Amino acid sequence: MGLEDKLPEGVLTTSLESLVNWGRANSTWPLLFGLACCAMEMIAAGTARHDISRFGSELFRASPRQADLMIVSGRVANKMAPVIKRIYDQMLEPKWVIAMGICASAGGPFNNYAIIQGVDKIIPVDVYVPGCPPRPEALLFALDKLRAKQGKETFAQYKRAELAQAFLRPEDIESLETLQKQAA
Amino acid sequence: MLNVSPRYREYETLPGINDPSIPALAPLPEGESEDTKLIVERFGEDILAAGLHNGQQVIYVKPEKLVELATFVRDEPALAYEALIDVTAIDRLKLPIPVEEARFQAVYQLRSYARKQHLMILSGTQNEDGNADKPTISSLAEVFEGAIWPEREAYDLLGVNFAGHPDLRRILMPNHWPYHPLRKNIPLGGEEVPFTLTWGDPEFETFGKQILPAESVNPVVPPGMDTQNLILNMGPHHPSTHGVLRLVVELDGETVINVDPDLGYLHSGFEKTGESKRYKDFVYYTDRMDYLSPMSNNFGYCLAVEKLLGVEIPERAQVIRVIMAELQRISSHLFWLGTHVMDVSGTGMAVMMYVTRERERILDLFEMVCGARLTVSYIRIGGVWKDLPPAFISTLRDLIAVLPRYFDDYEDMVTSGPVWQERLEGIGVLTRSEAIGMGLTGPMLRGSGVDWDLRRDMPYGGYENYDFKVPVETAGDCYARYLVRIEEMRQSVRIIEQALKNLPDGLFRVDDRKISLPPRAELDVSMEALIHHFKLMTEGFRVAPGMVYYGIESSKGELGYFIESDGSAVPYRLHVRGPSFNNLYAISKMSRGHTLSDVVTNIGSTDIVLGEVDR
Repeated sequence: MGLEDKLPEGVLTTSLESLVNWGRANSTWPLLFGLACCAMEMIAAGTARHDISRFGSELFRASPRQADLMIVSGRVANKMAPVIKRIYDQMLEPKWVIAMGICASAGGPFNNYAIIQGVDKIIPVDVYVPGCPPRPEALLFALDKLRAKQGKETFAQYKRAELAQAFLRPEDIESLETLQKQAA
Repeated sequence: MLNVSPRYREYETLPGINDPSIPALAPLPEGESEDTKLIVERFGEDILAAGLHNGQQVIYVKPEKLVELATFVRDEPALAYEALIDVTAIDRLKLPIPVEEARFQAVYQLRSYARKQHLMILSGTQNEDGNADKPTISSLAEVFEGAIWPEREAYDLLGVNFAGHPDLRRILMPNHWPYHPLRKNIPLGGEEVPFTLTWGDPEFETFGKQILPAESVNPVVPPGMDTQNLILNMGPHHPSTHGVLRLVVELDGETVINVDPDLGYLHSGFEKTGESKRYKDFVYYTDRMDYLSPMSNNFGYCLAVEKLLGVEIPERAQVIRVIMAELQRISSHLFWLGTHVMDVSGTGMAVMMYVTRERERILDLFEMVCGARLTVSYIRIGGVWKDLPPAFISTLRDLIAVLPRYFDDYEDMVTSGPVWQERLEGIGVLTRSEAIGMGLTGPMLRGSGVDWDLRRDMPYGGYENYDFKVPVETAGDCYARYLVRIEEMRQSVRIIEQALKNLPDGLFRVDDRKISLPPRAELDVSMEALIHHFKLMTEGFRVAPGMVYYGIESSKGELGYFIESDGSAVPYRLHVRGPSFNNLYAISKMSRGHTLSDVVTNIGSTDIVLGEVDR
């Protein structure tokens, strides 16, 4: 019954949202952007044995304008933080971020003056990958998780995100004061 | 701004239990060698102390005579210390120094390639305007060009002012950083980790503070660059800079006039962290410095600490270490080859895919022995973590049987390829004297005709028992360095073959319960073993006061560790001499006069790893 009966064979119907999400989830192009040790495993994920192209993510784009996904692969130094922020801002919506490894997720073993304790202090993160460094398989699993997330997105969400202007101002950075304010 | 000062953490045991002799100064050198005798004869009263310390030649000199001494040891034919390997400084704030002595001490490592000698020079600093916070010492940049970057680093991290330095700017930290982080009165920094968010707990006062405002600032044009020319910014996010390196390139048309590397985008505070961790705990950090050759990093650090401890490593452990270090050299060079070809020759990903095939097999072997692919921490102080698993030897034999054939394949693909030759030959030429003067090491040095390899010329870790050739090329260009590295991989295979043939039975780590853990099975039956285990895990081991510089031939060049011990279980000063850091200095000289595309070739040929450059 319904529309399907009247269509010729080989034509499927679906919602526009799922079609768009299907396309996005299966060709998420990462940014060619390596920071530290994790970048080596990211490269390993791209080579023959692990073969990230099975999941449509083999095209590492050097320009943030062409990339959908930023894999923060390594520790984020204080000097690098503004650069990462800027590259993230240059990426076009919709965009996603994977914090690869414990350093990008929470600072890892480097709790000192030089390293920012987690890239989520400066940009929003979609998937965190534990490990030091995570194996290439772990990165592929993170991509899988991201794909699940991408599959659930709606146009309304993008609209809201646009309105909210996902840019982070210095005063928005998670600090004790802001957390206290939120709790109050 | 940036008030990142959490509570001071005590990693030592409770105060009061500590030995009253801690902290202690390193003892003065004793005895004499021919070189120190010659220097003392020439300088007399100006040498405060000279002799041997931990088997190394050490000279303490008055700061006024430092430049004169450096010039003398370089030019005197009987000494011929032609290269300055490393410069660093020590902040002795927490050491019991006599009041009249200076708080900061500068440390220089000199090398004579012709005579195979190493010399350490220490000199106190003078106070500028009588202010103890402004130490100053004469720069050696006039004598050794290789001093320029290490002195900038010492200025940046410790605030030692090098008078007469041509370009004394910060090199690793951002320009507006409020302090010199490696000084002893500056805390480690970092944030308290809030497991439960209890407001008002002063423990969390630093939470979220450790961040600079994420605004991009207008880049400052480096001194010596003319804005009439085109100033091009390359990096820190650039596909061919092999990491987060930023190069400011001054161009006239497409010809490079000057290059100024801007480092520090991956500065992780390794040295400061090392000075707050026990000796055995820093092994895990060394993995993350040169992340393409973690085994070599472990190796160098453990050798330095073992030298301070004066322990003998069992034969089997030594051979296992050599196998691992050489496998690591091959894997690192393979990765270098893949990325270099990808940057330069236009064969695209092909070679990269091939080399990672072999690299993955080497990483499999690492995984077999220690469970990790990159951050191995397999070589530990006193030996290695565990014995080789039974399947290791046969798997390794299978691998090294096929490796030379694969190297032939790569050579077929690129060595005589016209594009490859065109892009490498005559590019980035460094003459022999330039390479020595800049303090370059490793393939950069051997590609310029200096026949020097620490494994052969100052053997460590049992390398004297192996028969291998040291490839040397005289052309000094990128192609020469390429040939050197390819041949080094073949020689590494030879070393591994010999090591496999002579792998002895026996202990895989030293049988000294004061520095290496007792076997797990022993804990069940022996109270004494349990106590040793507990003491090692909670306190670590103490190291007698002293200082040591230990350099090994890593895949990139000489990886050196300078450690000063004050008698406690934590290094007082830990400095790493990263080969990539000193080698990268040459990029400016190599690129001048060539086109912009050759800068990319030169970066690849230098074989840098930013984790090690920035530390």
